[in-house]
Amino acid sequence: MLKAEIKEITMKTAGGKKVILNDVKFELGENQIFTIVGKNGTGKSTLAKSITGLLDSYTYSVIGKVYFKGSDIFTMEEEKLLLLRKDSIKYVFQDAANSFDPLKKLKYYFELLTKDRNEIDDLLSYFVLPDKSKLYDMHAYEVSGGMAQRINFVLILLSKPEIIILDEPTSGIDSAIANLFLLKLKEFVKQNKNSVLLITQDILFAEKVSDKIAYLADKKLSSFYNVNEFFNKKDDPLLTKFLNAKNQIEV
Amino acid sequence: MKKLVEITNLSYSVRPNSILRFSNEKIILKNISLDISPNEIIGITGESGSGKTTLIKLIAGILKPSSGKIKFTPQQKREKVKTNPVQILFQNNSEILNPFRRIESTIEETIHIRNKKEIDVAAEKERILDSVGFTNELWNRKGFELSGGEQQRAALSRILAAKPELLILDEPFSAQDVESQLNLLNLFKKINVEYNLTMICVAHNLKILRKLANRIFIMYNGEIVESGITENIFKSPKNDYTKFLLKCENYDLKTPELKFTETLSD
Repeated sequence: MLKAEIKEITMKTAGGKKVILNDVKFELGENQIFTIVGKNGTGKSTLAKSITGLLDSYTYSVIGKVYFKGSDIFTMEEEKLLLLRKDSIKYVFQDAANSFDPLKKLKYYFELLTKDRNEIDDLLSYFVLPDKSKLYDMHAYEVSGGMAQRINFVLILLSKPEIIILDEPTSGIDSAIANLFLLKLKEFVKQNKNSVLLITQDILFAEKVSDKIAYLADKKLSSFYNVNEFFNKKDDPLLTKFLNAKNQIEV
Repeated sequence: MKKLVEITNLSYSVRPNSILRFSNEKIILKNISLDISPNEIIGITGESGSGKTTLIKLIAGILKPSSGKIKFTPQQKREKVKTNPVQILFQNNSEILNPFRRIESTIEETIHIRNKKEIDVAAEKERILDSVGFTNELWNRKGFELSGGEQQRAALSRILAAKPELLILDEPFSAQDVESQLNLLNLFKKINVEYNLTMICVAHNLKILRKLANRIFIMYNGEIVESGITENIFKSPKNDYTKFLLKCENYDLKTPELKFTETLSD
């Protein structure tokens, strides 16, 4: 079954001078992790943000159709869209610390989401975070970047969304913590009819976690391939170059 | 040949501080001893909070040790050289490079400071910018007109202009995609030979360290838990923590093995 369908996203700079993405389309299936890999500056993060219309219209002009449960996100009423962002499609951004209000203590966010204390405790200890008594009293600016990212992820899991979009989840964290992310993501997509869209340049992480992978280069997104198929593809010169660099570092 | 750096029983701790709100003495490095020969490339790895950054700050002289000794023996005569023989390539080059200054002029100034009289500035500038792969077109750009990778190479060329003997690299690969990582790796290897430069590279990325470093130090909780020739460590790690790290690096951790992650929480 389909979870969300991106019919078309074409993106230009606001003046229309520069094309950023050209006719990107894909479908997110249920119970699967979809990954988009690509080099720096190819527009991966911008694509992720555009899916729920998060981009500033003064900077970007986006034309497209994105369907979630039959309705088009781009033409949705503001109120419905806010609810969708609150309940259904959630993001873990690269600069997670900026996702918090610096004037609010972390307690505020946890208590907003759930009353189930055990669930909170379990997730905090799973992600090696300090326990509630210590953490609730802190502000987001008091924790390290990697910790903010984990707290953000915990909050998102507590809010029980249907789609999680993660932008470079492994960039600021140690590989041990990245392992915890990996296992938790796999657990998440097995539940209900959830799915995950992952944006990363950590190609090994992508290999281990994904069900389907696509490559973004030159303003276009390739089709999504099964993991094995993707790493054995020989007919795309840009991808081959990218994969060769990976192999040269690893072998 | 004499060792370039000799560290004996180095410890570093932070005293109780009412402003920073901790009341016990916090030990960050415990009894570190190591030495580095000229022209070696040393890799230091370990997870956040293991003391890697503190160690390189101590070696660079930014921090003073609580106890123990660090001895630095320059291999060349530096009487007429006015720049510091130990240089660090930081992560945040966009904040370090002057955004409104041309790269060429930054490099020229550094060469002038180093030794004005005895160097052919134009030739030296060309040699340095050439070795980091900066074409003439890029010389005239200003800091803000460069991409992240270019800024990093510009910062590296300024460091080379200071003629260091020890170059410390702080997480140079972290913000790069694989293709840029590979280019940078080859660049560091080239510079190591061309400039007779000893290097210390702090990185999380074990795969790249394996390609770059001759020797590796694994740090955990303020101590060096394992060290040795890079290949030996990767082929037959002895310490449990090293084995854990190698497994993590491959994202092969099956059930969360929290044994070694306890130090990460603060």
